[in-house]
Amino acid sequence: MAPHGKNAVWQGTLGLMVLRTLATLGEQHGYGIARRIEQTSGGQLTINYGTLYPALLKLEQEGLIAAAWGTSDNNRKARFYRLTKAGRKQIERDTRQWAATAAIMTRFLAPNEDWLEGERHAVAARVVASGVGHVRRRPP
Amino acid sequence: MRSLRALWHRVWGTFGGARRERELADEFESHLQMHVDDLVRTGVAAPEARRRALAALGSAAAGRDAWRDRRGLPAVEWLVRDLLHGARTLRRNPGFALGGILILGLGIGVNSAIFTLVNAVVLQPLPFRDADRIVRLWHTPPQTTFAGMRVFSLSPANFLDWEAQSRSFEAMATYRGGSQTVTGRGEPQAVTSIRASASFLPIFGLQPTLGRGFTAEDDREGTPDTVLISEGFWRSHYGADPTIVGRTIQLNHAPHTVIGVVAMPSFLDEVKVLMPLHWKAEDRAERANHNYRGLAKLKPGVMVREAQADLDAISLRLAEAYPAENTDWGALVVPMQDDIVGDARTPLLVLLGAVALVLLIACANLANLMLARTHGRAREIALRGALGASRWRVVQQLLAEGVLLGVGGGAAGLAAAWVGLDALIALSGPALPRAQEVTVDARVLAFTAGTAIVTGLLAALIPAWRLTGRDANEALKEGPGRGHSGGGDGRVRQGLVVSEVALALMLLVGAGLLMRSLTGLRAIDPGFDARNVLTASVGLPQARYGTPEARNQFFERARLAVAALPGVESAAWVDSLPLTGGSSQYVAVEGAPPVPDSELPVVAVRLASPGYFATARVPLKAGRDFTDADGLEAPKVIVLSERAAAAFWPGQNPLGKHVTLKMMSDQPHEVVGIVGDVRMEGLDGVLADTQSAIYAPHAQFAFNGSDLMVRTRVSPESLSRAVVGAIRSVDAEQPVLSLRPMTQVVEEALGQRPFAMQLLAAFAGLALLLASIGIYSVLAYTVRQRFREIGIRLALGAPIADVLRMVIVEGLKPTLAGVAVGVALAAVLVRSMASLLFKVDQHDPRTFATVAAVVVGVGLLATLIPAWRATRVDPVETLRAD
Repeated sequence: MAPHGKNAVWQGTLGLMVLRTLATLGEQHGYGIARRIEQTSGGQLTINYGTLYPALLKLEQEGLIAAAWGTSDNNRKARFYRLTKAGRKQIERDTRQWAATAAIMTRFLAPNEDWLEGERHAVAARVVASGVGHVRRRPP
Repeated sequence: MRSLRALWHRVWGTFGGARRERELADEFESHLQMHVDDLVRTGVAAPEARRRALAALGSAAAGRDAWRDRRGLPAVEWLVRDLLHGARTLRRNPGFALGGILILGLGIGVNSAIFTLVNAVVLQPLPFRDADRIVRLWHTPPQTTFAGMRVFSLSPANFLDWEAQSRSFEAMATYRGGSQTVTGRGEPQAVTSIRASASFLPIFGLQPTLGRGFTAEDDREGTPDTVLISEGFWRSHYGADPTIVGRTIQLNHAPHTVIGVVAMPSFLDEVKVLMPLHWKAEDRAERANHNYRGLAKLKPGVMVREAQADLDAISLRLAEAYPAENTDWGALVVPMQDDIVGDARTPLLVLLGAVALVLLIACANLANLMLARTHGRAREIALRGALGASRWRVVQQLLAEGVLLGVGGGAAGLAAAWVGLDALIALSGPALPRAQEVTVDARVLAFTAGTAIVTGLLAALIPAWRLTGRDANEALKEGPGRGHSGGGDGRVRQGLVVSEVALALMLLVGAGLLMRSLTGLRAIDPGFDARNVLTASVGLPQARYGTPEARNQFFERARLAVAALPGVESAAWVDSLPLTGGSSQYVAVEGAPPVPDSELPVVAVRLASPGYFATARVPLKAGRDFTDADGLEAPKVIVLSERAAAAFWPGQNPLGKHVTLKMMSDQPHEVVGIVGDVRMEGLDGVLADTQSAIYAPHAQFAFNGSDLMVRTRVSPESLSRAVVGAIRSVDAEQPVLSLRPMTQVVEEALGQRPFAMQLLAAFAGLALLLASIGIYSVLAYTVRQRFREIGIRLALGAPIADVLRMVIVEGLKPTLAGVAVGVALAAVLVRSMASLLFKVDQHDPRTFATVAAVVVGVGLLATLIPAWRATRVDPVETLRAD
């Protein structure tokens, strides 16, 4: 199992991705959802059993999605998930929240801000890559 | 809302069936297939597609586990699993499980039982509206004349002044007990009655269930003779007749109209009849006669001490205004609950402390048992650890086992407490207040459940801590049957035994001190002989016995009729039995300088018929007893107790001198006899030790209530019916009350102490038993561990006596340490029971020494079986065993 903290964040974001996917595609089975998320992320995310199905179960338990067995396009039996009314509302809420969070984070991570740990590494990396052996502290 | 809904699903999911899991497997399979299908469609060969899909999707088992964690509540699932595992383990070891449950059941059972009493008597508020605002009002008498007497009844005039001047109370009430003879319906019946002010019922928030209560007018004279009857009496005597209100009943042979039926407060549940106060003008002016009880309800927000200050100020004013009657008379405000619970509080709390100690011993015992058993499982547990079970998981499992034992013990204990409760209440006798309110309620159940779980956890904690602390390698290297006694383990177990012995010793010291107190109390010479004496009580109704002559005639004829019964040696009347209190009065002594009434000596005054001293076996020291000639018209005479004679006329002959009983008459009485001192106000206490008494002839005052003392040649109880019959032969409508042997009166004077002592002794015995089991089991275990060593010693030619001594010394070590610790702790703890002790020092060396000797003796006994077993070790067997 992934470390708890990372997992919690991941679970939260994955939930919203699933909801968005269902909002876009309509009714969809687990495989379809996973495929879509992987594609949307540009192949940066891989979804396995252990991440997808607990997330689907959680949304189900919270009443945001509902599921029923059905048949897929190429005639395979699959469990189809669809958004509920509560799920739709949840997307709006979470989207707003995410946008706000992302805006704040963007401002934090933008250059010309305070000397941030991440940035220092980035600068150091650039410096090393350019072959200059001396790292100078930027004046405050 | 959302998370609540999810939680709900997860709680259900925890106990969910396998169907949903099968569905998940199907879902995984279809997911995999679709993935493979897609890959195949892009041109990947089927086997390769399947391999890639499997790699991308990860382990289905891990996926299912993650899904399961989300589906239910993992912590709950672990708990359930641990409990089931624990239950299986216990079922495989029924002996251990039963022993553990029995030990805890004993410990928890006594705790539940005593807590039930404490809960009902001390903790639960009185069952009235605003019970915390109801207080009892008392006078405090001047200590110069009433040494050792803490509280006193009220006089009407003082009560009325308190009521008029105080600002702390919403309402005040007063009442006075009495008895009434109910006639006109079956057998004549004497019932307890009270005359109470109209405010009495409202203070308790009580409303008549039928009819109405009294009004303020009923407090004064001139209103009709009305009466309220108690619900119990209404049912038992009037068959719950719904038309009772408005009917006329005969009380003391006079008609009274029933105006209502009321449920009496539980502390007065013997009261059947409630009558109005009907104070005349002269009653209202009475300041020196203290015959009334006081009650009040505090205004909201007023503290008891504020009310106390209020009444203190009023008392000072009254003392100034009426110095003759009120000098040094104070007031006391006591919360009603404290007043009712009173002396029962300390013994109950001491007992609760005692059973807590018993439980601790039981807990230590179980810890020891578990430690011994888990020791055998050290390998299993080390193996689990090596296989990756976290330390916490292993601890959890052991704790679950402890909780199971605790719950089993709790259930057994609760059942035992339930069964034993009635016996416990019966044992407490009349000494326990609020006994009728004792029930097993939700609080008792919660207490028992909490105690059970905590005890189980506590008992499991030590073995859990010991086991998991061990090095897995060490444990695994050990052979199965050969586990070492583990230096650390040994010390922990010895420590447990030491604490068990110490706790048991503390309890024994408590019980021992109480026992000595009781022996001391019983050894007190009360001044009379209580053996073979039957007592009874009568109250003559004014309506039938309006004149002194009529009353005297009844008492005289009844006395002769009883005395003539076969088996009766003699019979006599006295207005209050010894030890039960009675009248205390100012008296004027011949030859003493004149002083205000309030500075006159106060003595107990008793009215006695001829033959009383002989019947009670109070020795006549000088002069004569009363005779039939000392009647109404005869010269007034009295008999003094020796102490009174010595106080009034030290060094002189008191015979022929005079005393005036100022509260009853202004005629001087001539002293005609001197008798031995008798304890009037209980067995112990300053007053009982120092009180003087004056006896006047029963016939010269001719009150209408009196107690009969009958000295018998046979067992007193066997004459009860005959005595009632003899009295009824004089007046067929005269009820007879409180038939009981005088020994019972003596026993009642001992109060809470016999109850507390018997229980404490029982608990101490239980504690000693548990502790000796502890000593035995630890030593038996140690000896088993050392079979090899003992075998080698014997093989090398060590004498059996040496082995014996070694084992016994080993066994006695924790006992002696426990005795030392216990003595030190007991010396501190006995302070809590100081008020229960009588003429025994808290640190009475004899008690401490005896108890220590008993504990060491029992400890020695507990070592005998293991010691004997050690001598039977066969060297060849043990050496070959490896």
